[in-house]
Amino acid sequence: MRKSGSADFVYIISDALSSLKESKGTTALTSLTLGFSLAIFSLFVFVISNLNGVMEGWGEKTQIVVYVKDNVSSAEAMKDSIMKVAGVRGAEFVSKEKALSELKGALKGYEGILEGVDANPLPASFEIKVLEENNSPEGIAKVVGELKARDWAEDVQYSREWVEKLASFIKFMKIAAIGVGVFLGAATLFIMSNTIRLAVYARRSEIEIMKLVGASDMYVRAPFVIEGAVQGLFGGILAFAILAAGRAAIIGQVPSYLAFALEMPFPVPVFLLALIMAGVVMGVAGSLISMNRFLDV
Amino acid sequence: MIQMFHVSKSYEGGVPALADITLKIGKGEFLFITGPSGAGKSTLLKIMFGSEPPTQGQLILDGRNYIKIPQPELPALRRRIGFVFQDFKLLPNKSVFDNVALSLKVMGIPPSDVKRRVARMLTYVKLQHRANFKPLQLSGGEQQRVAIARAMVKDPAIILADEPTGNLDPELSVQIIELFKEVNSRGTTVVIATHDKALIEKYARRTIALEGGRLVNA
Ligand SMILES: Nc1ncnc2c1ncn2[C@@H]1O[C@H](COP(=O)(O)OP(=O)(O)OP(=O)(O)O)[C@@H](O)[C@H]1O
Ligand SMILES: [Mg+2]
Repeated sequence: MRKSGSADFVYIISDALSSLKESKGTTALTSLTLGFSLAIFSLFVFVISNLNGVMEGWGEKTQIVVYVKDNVSSAEAMKDSIMKVAGVRGAEFVSKEKALSELKGALKGYEGILEGVDANPLPASFEIKVLEENNSPEGIAKVVGELKARDWAEDVQYSREWVEKLASFIKFMKIAAIGVGVFLGAATLFIMSNTIRLAVYARRSEIEIMKLVGASDMYVRAPFVIEGAVQGLFGGILAFAILAAGRAAIIGQVPSYLAFALEMPFPVPVFLLALIMAGVVMGVAGSLISMNRFLDV
Repeated sequence: MIQMFHVSKSYEGGVPALADITLKIGKGEFLFITGPSGAGKSTLLKIMFGSEPPTQGQLILDGRNYIKIPQPELPALRRRIGFVFQDFKLLPNKSVFDNVALSLKVMGIPPSDVKRRVARMLTYVKLQHRANFKPLQLSGGEQQRVAIARAMVKDPAIILADEPTGNLDPELSVQIIELFKEVNSRGTTVVIATHDKALIEKYARRTIALEGGRLVNA
């Protein structure tokens, strides 16, 4: 029995190229669908990862303020003592004078209120940040408890509500992001597989004829796999172009408090490569899956 | 070479197409299958080709016994069989040349050999001037000859031809049958399904007749 010859590979490639030429229309259509689907999905990934960054930034803001009694201990000694508390990441000293000038700044135009106040009535304080792993309502409560025990501590304040709200908001956002991500991913796959299925369906008689004249499954699949890969390549590049163009178009017009959403969370080449790879994987897998049932001739 | 034992076939929905067919086709034989439309001629050929599985019975090809030919063995089997389909099954967006070349390409035959053999085959079926045409630019008879050329070009061990002269005028029919005879004289087993009584009488070869899916005496 005759085995396949070495010319197989040459035929597979040249057939795939000519079939690409013949199916320019569907290839373009599939690339477009793939491009837009990927763009929408990565826009979502974009916003989520930026939002994550912003939320982490919020978490890094001052969480605890310790007001200190006058003339009990030196700023350095107090700072050392604070830094020894487990879970503390940093402490910034705010002197009585700085507190007063900050207050004056805040009262700009109404400095008269402070007239007649001779001695500086404001206490010095430390603004304290906690380590990531202590950044939970319980972790903060523990740090606060230790700080309160210091004899130079007048008062320890922290916004329990803020910390708890932030924690539950982040939790909610993570769950919502997973939900939306799964939904968008499924929608992308659904649209893709249908587009490819239509393209394969249009060529089912071609598949049948090739099988009937003795083509192996590999021989029949090859053009579709190569086409899927090319569509994925174009789709990935298109998705990138859509995102880049969209970003360029709105970047000047976005209010500054929303500008974070437009920041690039990944290096550009990594992003482009990831889009192309996602496109190629989807294109190839989609072709293989949707043509399988037509191979059984 | 090809044997069938008590083969029956019902299509989906229960339409019976063949009932209890037992027959033996020897190596190098030249055989006509005849019978009225709907008698089951095409179905019989498709079972030999493995593109329709029998509902019952067994098939013996080259001494191997099959109930159903396994999917992975089909490509090898089909490279040894040239099949002329009643509805031609040409690729509409490929040229005549490429359609004929396909059956050699899937076997991995080098391009230079493919070129030579396809060109020679197209001359045999008198289509050398149509090599670059697409099937839809051809007459029915020309398309039929493309289908015949595609089946013959690979020098198959067996040719199964389903109404290969159905669209040809009597003169061309004779020329095509002569071509089948010539291939047969070089050792290829040839099975032709036809309801052209004149052709069968003219050649007086072994003939089996089907009626309502059963073998009857021709
Ligand atoms: N794919 C199919 N699905 C269902 N029934 C089918 C199918 N193909 C054929 N049949 C039925 O099987 C019977 C035999 O059909 P077949 O094509 O084998 O006849 P035939 O002898 O080749 O006829 P013709 O001379 O018209 O080509 C017919 O009754 C037909 O309706
Ligand atoms: Mg028929």
